[in-house]
Amino acid sequence: MRFEPTMKQAVIRRTARKYAEEVLAPAAVEMDRTGQFPQDIADEMAELKYFGLEIPPEYGGAGLDPVSYAIVVEEISRANAAMGLCVAVHNGVAAAPMYEFGNQFQRKKFLVPVATGKKIGTFCLSEPNAGSDASAIETTAVRDNKDYILNGNKVFVTNGHVSGTNLIFANTRPGEKKKEYTVFFVESEREGVEKGPLEELMGMRGNPVCPITLHDCRVPEENLLGEQGQGLKIAFATLNGGRIGIAAQALGIAQACLDVSLRYAKERHQFGRSIAQFGAIQKHLADMATQVEAARLLVYRAAGLRDKGLEYGMESAMAKLYASKIAVDAARIGIQIHGAYGYSKSYPIERYYRDAKITEIYEGTSEVQRIVIARSLMER
Amino acid sequence: MNIAVCIKQVPDTPSIRMDRERMTIIRDGVESVINPLDYVALQAALDLRDRKGGEVVVITMGPPQSEEALREAIAAGADRAILVTGAAFSGADTLATSHVLAVAISKLDPFPDLVLCGAHTTDSDTAHVGPQMAEELNLPQICGVNEIHMEEDYLTVKRLSDGFVETLQVSLPALLTVTQELCSVGHLPLGDLQIAFSEREITQWGPEDLGLKEEEVGLRGSATQVWKLSVPPPRREGDLISGSPQTLVDHLIRKLEDLSILDEEDGYKS
Ligand SMILES: Cc1cc2nc3c(=O)[nH]c(=O)nc-3n(C[C@H](O)[C@H](O)[C@H](O)COP(=O)(O)OP(=O)(O)OC[C@H]3O[C@@H](n4cnc5c(N)ncnc54)[C@H](O)[C@@H]3O)c2cc1C
Repeated sequence: MRFEPTMKQAVIRRTARKYAEEVLAPAAVEMDRTGQFPQDIADEMAELKYFGLEIPPEYGGAGLDPVSYAIVVEEISRANAAMGLCVAVHNGVAAAPMYEFGNQFQRKKFLVPVATGKKIGTFCLSEPNAGSDASAIETTAVRDNKDYILNGNKVFVTNGHVSGTNLIFANTRPGEKKKEYTVFFVESEREGVEKGPLEELMGMRGNPVCPITLHDCRVPEENLLGEQGQGLKIAFATLNGGRIGIAAQALGIAQACLDVSLRYAKERHQFGRSIAQFGAIQKHLADMATQVEAARLLVYRAAGLRDKGLEYGMESAMAKLYASKIAVDAARIGIQIHGAYGYSKSYPIERYYRDAKITEIYEGTSEVQRIVIARSLMER
Repeated sequence: MNIAVCIKQVPDTPSIRMDRERMTIIRDGVESVINPLDYVALQAALDLRDRKGGEVVVITMGPPQSEEALREAIAAGADRAILVTGAAFSGADTLATSHVLAVAISKLDPFPDLVLCGAHTTDSDTAHVGPQMAEELNLPQICGVNEIHMEEDYLTVKRLSDGFVETLQVSLPALLTVTQELCSVGHLPLGDLQIAFSEREITQWGPEDLGLKEEEVGLRGSATQVWKLSVPPPRREGDLISGSPQTLVDHLIRKLEDLSILDEEDGYKS
């Protein structure tokens, strides 16, 4: 059993951290204030290969291993969770299934522009009536000669407003009793694709989350990812991997909470000494640090299993369940340590609280993670 | 223009800790990074190469794990990397270090037109190695360079001296040591790191490869020895107070009273 990063992973962390601290941390404040996505920074990140992290170089990616991937998402999210979301979704649930399930033609045509960051990717599963229950989707795809005609409403699409290539989950047997689920590549410029207004979100502000509507959107059969009817299989396999990214994101937020809380506790003086001298504050900090370290081990372990090609669905669910919980706790306790200043926008901890909460909801709520874990326990 | 850049791995500065019993720097669990000024030298070398052609070779003398620094330099754009390593090299002072590096550089084929180093390192901070190498290699040297211009077959460089800017011209080959102001260091593309760590070769040279005898290198080849390491008296931690003017004043007065600078009986108490 090895717990040390490899030389490469250590350098990857330093490199991502330097970029995150110098570029993404200052941008986070602005993104949160204005809700604007910084396209210039995304373009620079594309040059630096942040949009093709695990994709092999022959398709324009960086070819990193899953642990390095988790490290990069963690470091970005530590400085800027909204950008962490952009990277985690683009890489984890858009580029990854395009590579894993795409044929050679699709990899060249769709994956390369996504992995090089020229086109931003999305994963469009959720609908007004389909959240945790993905099988309830109502978007339809009807065959018309060599094409499919898509109709439906996708909601809460991360990266939606700036996306170029969308993965749309649809029912290819509308009207029949048993649905059949299929995934399509749908380019944003295709006729019949309409992006709705930006969601006004509590946190992750600056990530352009929006609904995407399909009105008689005609898509050629070459845009079908994997096989017809494979949709849910692709969705679940993708989310298993994607959860490592969200867990890493939560881990980064939790680490950021610990960083600022520790610094503040040492600086702030009450009753003639720094508040870090008080047992109550030390307990908070000790618990927070322990939880962050435990979450880190869970995240890297899930990523390590993925790297070895072993089953990791239960482990990634555990990593996401735990990391998201401790991120919310760390932010909540972090505000407590900051007192009134923590409740003020002049310190970042209130933003971390708003950012952290969603990690318990998207890519499977905590309740759903427990279902995944319990099911694996009973099956194994 | 072929350029050799000497780089050293140093402990990441904010995390340097001393083992107070053995009086040595604790390296376990401390990350090592490329000495920041060596990174500047590397960046300057890459910029010159990109404009004038040729190749950039990075060299380090250090333990096997210094490979990490060399691979990072390759990811940044260096063409080749040489790791000078071996048990005999350990314990070297700056003289033994410069000697080994000078011998390694003289073995380079073709001999470089320019040797670049950081002006000093964040760990031992002697600023010896560059100048000593230049002496041994019999190269003209300019230390603390903050601007380099390539002319036809010579360089015009600038350095700060006693608050004046000195502009100097130097023929090639030459050795320069550089400061932070020379250029800024870019961000590394992650894909280049992956390639540098998975596909690229690092040349390793030991004492035999360089024709060096045991008494020339490491502790035995050193002219100086560290007699004692001690920890300087800790600097008192600064005290940052925040809050309303009233809180600040109260806090300050209490502090001054605690230090017996102010006395309640003097009637200063608010
Ligand atoms: C910022 C943001 C970005 C998002 N990005 C994307 C994206 O890119 N792509 C995408 O497809 N979706 C995205 N989503 C949607 C997200 O994945 C869903 O919100 C999530 O899956 C939960 O669905 P829901 O909100 O409809 O909640 P519901 O499913 O309605 O759940 C409501 C509550 O009921 C609980 N619950 C539901 N079913 C069960 C059960 N069987 N047992 C126990 N409890 C249950 C849930 O845990 C939750 O507490 C995003 C959402 C947000 C806010």
